[in-house]
Amino acid sequence: MVRIKHRYLLVNILYPDAKYSPLRPAATAGDDIPYTVQFRRPSPDQMNGGLLMRLIRDGVVELFGDYGSGKIAGSLQVKYFSSATSTAIIRVSREHYRLVWSALTLTTRLPRPVDQPCVIQVVRVSGTIRKAEEEAIRRARLSIRRAEAAAKSSSVSIAGTIPTASTAAAAGDDDFDMINGIEDPDELGDLDDDDDG
Amino acid sequence: MAPTRPPPPPNNIKKRKEAPTDPQTNASKRYKPTDHRQKTRDARTLSTQTSSKAFKNGELDVSAFVKSRAFEISALEEGMARSKKALNRRAFQQVPKELRRRTASHNVKRVPKRLRERGKREMADDNTPTVTARRRKPTAHMRLRLETVKKLRALGAKRKAGMDRVKVTVADPNGAPPTKSTDSAKDKQQPAESTTAIKARTPKIKKSLLATPPVPKAKFRKRQIHKSWLPTHLFHAKRARMTAPSAALWRFSVPLTPTAKSYRPTHRASHERGAVAWDMSYIATVQLEGREGSLIGMLKVLGVAEEELIGRKGEKWRQGRRALENFVYEREAPHDPVAPVTIIWCVSAAEESAGMAGKEKRNRKLLLRVHPSAFYQLWEELLRLAKVAKPAVSVEDLRFDIGSLEITGPGGTEALLSALWPSRTTSEPLAVRDSASTAMDIDSESRNKNTIVEETWSSLAGLTNPAMVPKNALLAFNVQDPRLHHPPRTIKLPKTDAEQHKLLELIASWPVDAAQQPPELFDRKARQAASATMPSQKAVNRRKGLAAPGQYPEPLPKDPQIPVLLYTTAPSTTDKGASGRPPPNSSSWTLLTPWKCMQPIWYSLMYYPLSTGQQPRFGGLDQYRQLSFEAGKAWFPGDFPGTKAGWEWEYAERRKREAEWRRRPKGKRVSFERVEVGEGVRGEIGIGWGCDWERLIGGALVASEGEEAAMNVEKAAESGDKSAENGKTKAQEEPKEPPQQAPSKPPHLTQLSARQALALLATPPATPPATTTVKLPPHIHLPSALTTVRLTLLTRGVPQPCARIYRLPSSTANPELRRQWLALLPTDTHKPTQKRGGKHALPRGLPSTGEIPPHVVQQRLAQSLLEPVRAGEEGYPSCPGEGDLVGFVTAGSYDLAAGFGTGIGSLLVEKVMGREEEAGERHLCVVRNSGTGVARLGRWEVI
Repeated sequence: MVRIKHRYLLVNILYPDAKYSPLRPAATAGDDIPYTVQFRRPSPDQMNGGLLMRLIRDGVVELFGDYGSGKIAGSLQVKYFSSATSTAIIRVSREHYRLVWSALTLTTRLPRPVDQPCVIQVVRVSGTIRKAEEEAIRRARLSIRRAEAAAKSSSVSIAGTIPTASTAAAAGDDDFDMINGIEDPDELGDLDDDDDG
Repeated sequence: MAPTRPPPPPNNIKKRKEAPTDPQTNASKRYKPTDHRQKTRDARTLSTQTSSKAFKNGELDVSAFVKSRAFEISALEEGMARSKKALNRRAFQQVPKELRRRTASHNVKRVPKRLRERGKREMADDNTPTVTARRRKPTAHMRLRLETVKKLRALGAKRKAGMDRVKVTVADPNGAPPTKSTDSAKDKQQPAESTTAIKARTPKIKKSLLATPPVPKAKFRKRQIHKSWLPTHLFHAKRARMTAPSAALWRFSVPLTPTAKSYRPTHRASHERGAVAWDMSYIATVQLEGREGSLIGMLKVLGVAEEELIGRKGEKWRQGRRALENFVYEREAPHDPVAPVTIIWCVSAAEESAGMAGKEKRNRKLLLRVHPSAFYQLWEELLRLAKVAKPAVSVEDLRFDIGSLEITGPGGTEALLSALWPSRTTSEPLAVRDSASTAMDIDSESRNKNTIVEETWSSLAGLTNPAMVPKNALLAFNVQDPRLHHPPRTIKLPKTDAEQHKLLELIASWPVDAAQQPPELFDRKARQAASATMPSQKAVNRRKGLAAPGQYPEPLPKDPQIPVLLYTTAPSTTDKGASGRPPPNSSSWTLLTPWKCMQPIWYSLMYYPLSTGQQPRFGGLDQYRQLSFEAGKAWFPGDFPGTKAGWEWEYAERRKREAEWRRRPKGKRVSFERVEVGEGVRGEIGIGWGCDWERLIGGALVASEGEEAAMNVEKAAESGDKSAENGKTKAQEEPKEPPQQAPSKPPHLTQLSARQALALLATPPATPPATTTVKLPPHIHLPSALTTVRLTLLTRGVPQPCARIYRLPSSTANPELRRQWLALLPTDTHKPTQKRGGKHALPRGLPSTGEIPPHVVQQRLAQSLLEPVRAGEEGYPSCPGEGDLVGFVTAGSYDLAAGFGTGIGSLLVEKVMGREEEAGERHLCVVRNSGTGVARLGRWEVI
């Protein structure tokens, strides 16, 4: 039997401009919010899967015209979108995931009802949703650890010590560059580069 | 359910467990539990959290951030677990194909052991209701039937009680111990004084009469009015497609093919691993008894070769140590071929005492085994011959007296060994003895001469190919009731080199030849005694119950001794593999045994756990034909259209195919009248759904009668003169209407043996055909003499039954077409089986390493472009005309053994002999499937 092949894109949405954020820093904590927490802001409530879908479609139409939108229309689906963590898993057919990726990368602003500047990061491309989910879990674990470590270190630094050892330990051996999302190029290497040629 | 099952928890009161639902999205949704699509969709939905919920009061702080991440992690993990469970399959869905069953497949008691634990858990989880047949509440209809049964039982008991008051025991003159069909154990306890012995009359055996089938049980009698069941009918009827009740084959209900898919599994089981068995009880057995001289005279008239009958070659066969397969012919003038017959002599008891003259005079017995389609023809012939033989020979029909089975494949010997436990044996049987003594020490002096056959048989463990034992070797001994050793266990096979060596030595020396006693199977009394003393299943079960756990019951002196006769059917020496085909491996054991003893042996065979895993498969008629086709052997009657039985078979097949063709709507069936058959002629030659031998011979007969006119016509046809040819075909068709109702073989149609055909074909092409006919016996009408051939297609294509076989057009009549066909002949470098490169690959034959100069590449490319044209392209040669039609394919398909399409067909010998042929063009032909316009180049060889 022929199996329809898909790619699952794990996507993070970042909000670089704090002034549009729906949340303000907690009044009591003030400036103590660690940078990692501030960096990964939640999306506004209006932002949901449907809106993300529209964003991608519009982006693809703009970049690739009717051809591109037609190619991805059949397979595009938002499997998961959590506004609290600004994480999404998007499914698209294997042949055309690059159209979606480029549309996501070139997005600078969320569409109308939200209307915020944003940066969308594709952090993982996988052939099964399971691997995308595992990666999302790994990243969530990591960011929890970082946030906790940062919170502790900040409280400790207020107390007056230098947070060198503890942060290094918190970062641990599976530390990675949070900005540059794609860290395993060998996973991409096995994809067919000539597919949509 | 088993009583050990814990009571269901209180929340589990619904009949079935509900499908998992997503607490957030589908909490209120209700759907049927059978809605699988909805179920999987739900299982795959991941729960999410909005930011307003995650971050209370719209404040961003670390604890809320951590919590939102933690929620995400749990949601994703739960989603993964849920979707994995939704994909999960139940235990009974993972059963391998050959173990699947339909009835109550969910029942844990019916799934394989390794899945049973899981299945039990799943059933408990799901609240699957199980009910045993014993505890099921009968339906209203069933209840009525059960009540009737109860009443009838009461009546029967009353009647039986009345009969028991006068007890009569019949003393069996045949020496069998007295038995009653009722409970035998009760009889033994009865005091002897109440029985009165009456001496029964010895029934006179009526010879020269057709046997009547055994009277079936009243329950099954109505179903066997116009046909008989095989002894294993009940086994097969549950597992195989049988012949339709209205269309019995040869007055038997024969299994055609197993219900399970079996084309490839049968091939594998017979060639690589496993075994395939057939109940061949429908094969008819005839016993001849008389002076050896008159028997040999009879066989001579039937056409058995001289060197077998009096020469040294057939000495062992005449002594009863080997079986012989031979084609027999009618005695009267046309000497029509009847059928291939297996002939087995009985070993004579007083062997060495008599001299040559005494040998001629002593009484001998002889078994003839013939296919049922030719039985009656042979029977008539035998009766006629027996009457004229002096001194007289008695002919006895043993059709429903002796049953038989055939088993092939590497595991066949092993399975037979476990089923057949010799009655007389000094050493322990194979299943219980340790492996050290499997191979018999053939040099030991202590061996009893009486049990040498049994010991040899037991020492054959480890034999994978029966062709290794001497060709057509016979083994005759008595075996125990196989039900006592049921279920069978895997026998110990030789493992060490020394044991293997012993086995080889045994096969080489074959001590059976010196010690074979007269087989008891030839003895009517022994056969009857074995059938009569077979204990009931109840008695067998009781004995098995009394035996120690894990032990088989001890043999008793009163146990039946079932006479069996085993022989191997080895592929004949002419069956050398076709080009590119490994030599056929299919050698098989044939087992003859009394009809009534067949069923227990069959069951032991079928449930034997092979050492290579799985059990022996059973086959139907289709599998038998498939394997003989793969071995390149002709199957009687289908591949012998020159015999009466073969002709009738062909006619039946033709009717079947025609009905199939007519059933289809006009737009969806082959329109035979529009097929291009070559030389611009439209319309299939003869009947499209059959092998139209009448048409083929009809033309030939015309040619022989008015040779001049026919030659003119042929010339006209070959030169492509359309009008002349059309005129000819019309003229031919009018008188030669195929018979619709009464199939009668054309009078002169006959089948030549391979030897005769090869002799004819070996005549130098220079001599005209008129002189060659002199060599042939005068009664054979050469223009309608067929010979069976095996076809191999040289380029591509698969021949189907009814495909037309043409010779290449002669170089004088149509040199252009001949040249085109010869151009297709592949050179030796690339065979059809060789894998071709990709479409865009470099031309083949280039050196893979080193720098290749461009001109070489171009040269090779040009060469590859000059490859023979493919079918459908411009320049592909068309089919030769009807004048070159020489025969038809009777069996053909893709051959799993060879790896390409092959076929078995018959040719008119006269049309292919004396053709001018160069070395490479020997036996080339063109094959065109019926109803298609594309012809393929092939090569034939006589088998």
